[in-house]
Amino acid sequence: MKPGFKKLLPLLVLLVVALALPLAMLSNQYNLILLTTVILYATLASAWNIIGGMGGQFDLAAGAYLGLGAFTSGTLLIRWNITPWIGMIAGGLIAAAFALLVGYPLFRFKVREVWYALSSAALVLVLRVAFMMWEEVGGPTERYIPFHDWSLYHLRFRSYIPYYYLILIILVITLWLNHRIRNRKLGYYLLALGDNEEAAEILGVDARGSKLKALMIYAFIAGVLGGVYACLYGFIHPNFFSATISLEVAILGIVGGVGITYGPLLAALILVSGRELLRANVGGQLESLYLVIYAIVLIVIALFRPQGIGSLLQKAWEKLTTKAAEE
Amino acid sequence: METVVQNMINGIMMGCIYGLIALGLSMIFGVMNIVNFAHGDFVMLSMYFTFWVSSLMSVDTVATIAFTLPLLFIFGILTYYLIIHKTLRQKYITQIAVTVGLMTLLRALAQLIWKARPRALPDSIVRGTIVLGQYTVMLSRLSSALVSIAAILLVSLFMAKTWPGRAIRATSDDLDAASLMGVNYKWTFALAFGLGSALTAIAGAMLMTFQQVDPTMGLRFGLLSFCILALAGLGSTVGLLISGIIVGIAESLAMGLWDPRARSLVIYVIFVLVLWLRPRGLFGRK
Amino acid sequence: MQDQPLLAVQHLTKSFGSLIAVNDVSFMIHRGEVLGLIGPNGAGKTTLFNSVTGLYKPDEGEVRFKDHDITGIEPYRICKLGMSRTFQVSRAFPTMTVAEAVRVGAYNRHEEKEVEEQVHKMLAFFQLEKFAGQKCEDLGLALLRRVEIARAVATEPELLLLDESAAGLNATELGELMDMLKRLRTDRNITLCIVEHVMKMVMGICDRIVVLDYGELIAEGNPEEISSNERVIEAYLGKRALQ
Repeated sequence: MKPGFKKLLPLLVLLVVALALPLAMLSNQYNLILLTTVILYATLASAWNIIGGMGGQFDLAAGAYLGLGAFTSGTLLIRWNITPWIGMIAGGLIAAAFALLVGYPLFRFKVREVWYALSSAALVLVLRVAFMMWEEVGGPTERYIPFHDWSLYHLRFRSYIPYYYLILIILVITLWLNHRIRNRKLGYYLLALGDNEEAAEILGVDARGSKLKALMIYAFIAGVLGGVYACLYGFIHPNFFSATISLEVAILGIVGGVGITYGPLLAALILVSGRELLRANVGGQLESLYLVIYAIVLIVIALFRPQGIGSLLQKAWEKLTTKAAEE
Repeated sequence: METVVQNMINGIMMGCIYGLIALGLSMIFGVMNIVNFAHGDFVMLSMYFTFWVSSLMSVDTVATIAFTLPLLFIFGILTYYLIIHKTLRQKYITQIAVTVGLMTLLRALAQLIWKARPRALPDSIVRGTIVLGQYTVMLSRLSSALVSIAAILLVSLFMAKTWPGRAIRATSDDLDAASLMGVNYKWTFALAFGLGSALTAIAGAMLMTFQQVDPTMGLRFGLLSFCILALAGLGSTVGLLISGIIVGIAESLAMGLWDPRARSLVIYVIFVLVLWLRPRGLFGRK
Repeated sequence: MQDQPLLAVQHLTKSFGSLIAVNDVSFMIHRGEVLGLIGPNGAGKTTLFNSVTGLYKPDEGEVRFKDHDITGIEPYRICKLGMSRTFQVSRAFPTMTVAEAVRVGAYNRHEEKEVEEQVHKMLAFFQLEKFAGQKCEDLGLALLRRVEIARAVATEPELLLLDESAAGLNATELGELMDMLKRLRTDRNITLCIVEHVMKMVMGICDRIVVLDYGELIAEGNPEEISSNERVIEAYLGKRALQ
């Protein structure tokens, strides 16, 4: 076997497992939902990694881009029967457009990073209110997407499984994007900006342009996911603009490992499963308990292992692949 | 027209309180370039503390400041040493992460402990209204505004005349120079954090004279303070007060003339406009 | 043959509040020369550099590079036009390796396919091949300086500004630096402008020298003229010179 293939082998095994898992859970609806949720967050967090981990911006607007994607795709479907396959892309583009709008003034050279973080946090809040007030498209009641037993056109299925595979595909694409960005010009530029913005600029790195590229890629992915999200849930509602989801995604990104490709995936596997387990056992009364735990995990990681837990995985991975290559 | 003026009057009074809250945030940001994302939740916390102290000890709302002020001061200092201090040497995103974590923690804890049920206190000594022609002014709001202005002026004096205050200003201006002149930056940072947090105690107590508290308020006060901070810029205490008043008026007018739900929309628009057109702020020096 | 100056600074003024750091300074840099910018501490040399390279926006005056008006434009655009610089206090990329740092610079003029080659060329030119995989934050001063210059040169500048690259170097390291700079000029056709306190370097490689004191240009000429210029001597004797 070629050495390159050997390195990829464990990854392929993982992929096969990921592909087979839902089939092993056909009878357990709960596990399927859990799996789909985990993979949804893993994808969001991996996309977040592009602007957060590599771009160094603490984005708190995942919910904003998700919601925009959901509303775009959902509204197109509900009103004009346009397939979500197009709707998703439209959703992604609208989300990216918003991202451009917010990021353009804030990524100017020498504007402090904290302003983007604050703006993004506020964006979610504001979009929620705006869509609540916007009766034609949003409003306080759920807008339902017509139900279909199995429709590829409407992206509506009775089971969670097709959604799982769709999101899995998006996850793989997102991870591939992560990998590609980080090993090429944009990744180097973002890394340099993070290390020393002034030095990077005088070496020809356009700070604003680079950060905007990263932001828009992330927002696009989140928007596309939003389109899937709407079909998954079967309705759209301004609560999709959720500050909580935004926080969770950012936490997964940070805990996973700032800049490490598979970190957020690992973090999602652990934290999101943990959250669902907690919810199942403790119930609605103590909903906020998981947030308390998330917050504590975030603070602990930031204080004691700011590189995130993903780096542990990376070291283990390297040991594994070099051993395999040696054999 | 009457509604406009009435809203403006209310807005000015609320704006003074908001200015005080923003001052706390500004002190921390100016000194160590950290925006305490949890600042709004500190206000929420002060309001809950006020509720507790007042209920448990049967003390008037306003008088609780005597207890909550030192409490929040210590809380701020503890926050600095336990959470912030270690991150100063890390990447900026990590510094943001800890205060975001703190914000999430406080908000989630508040929701766990106090559930969604708002708490309110019985009327304090500052009750009643003054009537000026067609306009009413609630005494509770008026006194809150006056107390806030007084507090802001006191802080201004403190920064100008006392050694700790000047140390804080010096550290904000130039960390290295201040260190060279014998200012212990760690201690100054802690002091700034403690002081900035203590100010929320004053605001919190005054707010409780006419408002109720619930766990989600942190978000609202957070957004308000960030907006005022951006609008004012760094370096001018009076500028913060003025910015607070501007934002207070804008919020009040939006709620009164457009839609009560629009309050956060208007604040956000101001926020974004300022960052877009004048990132230094109206009164900023840097 | 172009007799248009590569860089022309006209009436540049920059103040910070009430402190005028650079006051009505005008000078030119011609293609192919090595210009020295000297002056006592606090004379405004770094402020001048920063104003020319886009890190500060001048209050008054104009900076023209290759006949483009670059006054106050973003630093990355100035780099794209062909000017790069190093910093007095090292602005290394702490988490990146030497090769990675140089690569960032290389992307300025090279596409993905050719970037590796450019990195190799630079590492070879600056004799940094041995250190390619080391993290910048682990390097000693002299090496760090070299990396800073290497990454700036990787951007393929026509004009390179160096801010006190010789500070803190011992005699051997200084000699190596001076050789390197000479080679930059002969092998790579780079025009240099150096801010320096180390007189040995200034007198050793500069064709022309410009002297700043209290933000003002007080003298201009070749090394012999400058070393015997009374105003220059007075400016230095009145303060504690570094070397």
